[in-house]
Amino acid sequence: MAVSLQTKYPLRPITNNIPSTHRYSLLHVRVTCSATTTRNKPQAKLVVENRFMSPPLSNDPSLQSTWTHRLWVAAGCTTFFASLSKSIIGGVGSHLWLEPALAGYAGYILADLGSGVYHWAIDNYGDESTPIVGTQIEAFQGHHKWPWTITRRQFANNLHALARVITFTVLPLDLAFNDPVVHGFVSTFAFCIMFSQQFHAWAHGTKSKLPPLVVALQDMGVLVSRREHAEHHRAPYNNNYCIVSGAWNKVLDESKVFEALEMVLYFKLGVRPRSWSEPNSEWTEEKDISNNHKV
Amino acid sequence: MASSSSFFTFSSQTTLHSHLHRNTFLTKTQFPVPTKSSESNFFGLRLSPSTSRSPLSPCSFKSSIFAKVNKGQSAPDFTLKDQNGKPVSLKKYKGKPVVVYFYPADETPGCTKQACAFRDSYEKFKKAGAEVIGISGDDSASHKAFASKYKLPYTLLSDEGNRVRKDWGVPGDLFGALPGRQTYVLDKNGVVQLIYNNQFQPEKHIDETLKFLKAA
Repeated sequence: MAVSLQTKYPLRPITNNIPSTHRYSLLHVRVTCSATTTRNKPQAKLVVENRFMSPPLSNDPSLQSTWTHRLWVAAGCTTFFASLSKSIIGGVGSHLWLEPALAGYAGYILADLGSGVYHWAIDNYGDESTPIVGTQIEAFQGHHKWPWTITRRQFANNLHALARVITFTVLPLDLAFNDPVVHGFVSTFAFCIMFSQQFHAWAHGTKSKLPPLVVALQDMGVLVSRREHAEHHRAPYNNNYCIVSGAWNKVLDESKVFEALEMVLYFKLGVRPRSWSEPNSEWTEEKDISNNHKV
Repeated sequence: MASSSSFFTFSSQTTLHSHLHRNTFLTKTQFPVPTKSSESNFFGLRLSPSTSRSPLSPCSFKSSIFAKVNKGQSAPDFTLKDQNGKPVSLKKYKGKPVVVYFYPADETPGCTKQACAFRDSYEKFKKAGAEVIGISGDDSASHKAFASKYKLPYTLLSDEGNRVRKDWGVPGDLFGALPGRQTYVLDKNGVVQLIYNNQFQPEKHIDETLKFLKAA
């Protein structure tokens, strides 16, 4: 006979008398025990799921950068710089500047659109068991519950997943193409996508703590603004998906593109997007903890 | 272009009926003629007969919409099960105006907004002497849960297989990928007096139909 026992640690504020070294294991881990009972000796097998039950602390290892993270960011940046160099050198050599510049601008604009579409898909479909993007979906879910933790993530930790995608995508393009216009587009598109998580983190920052240049770029609409992105973090979490400049948000929301896509997917595939249901506790922002931890 | 938008809006569900005695033209009543075909599909189409010549050639299939149930025609009777599984016939409502609204599916955002808007204005419909009926392809159990959750006071009918939707010629949207959202207002004799189509602004169905009923 198999017996499954699940224990959840209730959410509670950190208590000072718990040693900090133990806090992570006590408060952040859901323990699943499966026990197969024989007549005399139950054989229990302990399975630990690393799932956050309470918000991670600033010194939580999951928020810190590792050397692997840094390597991926370095690799992503290298592919981006190679593309940018090809665009500039090729442009100078061919006496072209306008076309690569326009292609670069198109890259910036379309990166915002791409960020919105990807964000919409990740927010609404799949779960942690989805192949390839499962961990991202879980991360996005945790982000909606505790949005402010993104401001506590170290730089490489925050960007490494996108940097990995950029590395695998841009490297073949660097090797295959020399055209300065192509690389004008690729370099800015790649840069904006890779750094979209940083723009996203800044959009969760407070004005007084952000660099003045960042605040200025947000106010100008070059980067997604704090106010605009805050709209995305209100139930039912179904708008303002773009996180590069946010320029596409108004167009996408007013034209109801995502609503149309959701309806088509529902009728053709029978899948309901998450935003159609009442947000559950896994998704809804924990306002009390958020207010206590905001700076 | 209005002609391309009209073609875009009405999918293969609409067919040409030789017995139709007049052509039906697509006119925009609230919005300017769209330059993009997608606009007309989403933002409100009101069908009304017109005998005057328009820039849209009546001879061109692309510019003429031949719905199976048009304004001025007697709506064909049907019998469908309501949310309690009881069969309900349209002819039961003869003698009073009826608002028959076809919607894509229960528990989708637009349909919920529309249902709740009809609920919130139900007293106004009753004051105008009208009854409200919602029809989708969902089964009675789904309708019962939907009506119960949102406390809908009117009848929801289950058009399984979308047979009535096809018979009435309710056009689909996005090249037939989505069931259309179209509302018919029938007078007390069962004759269609208003047809309103709008997929993504569902609350407008209530505004348009109430406005019509109050003016009638």
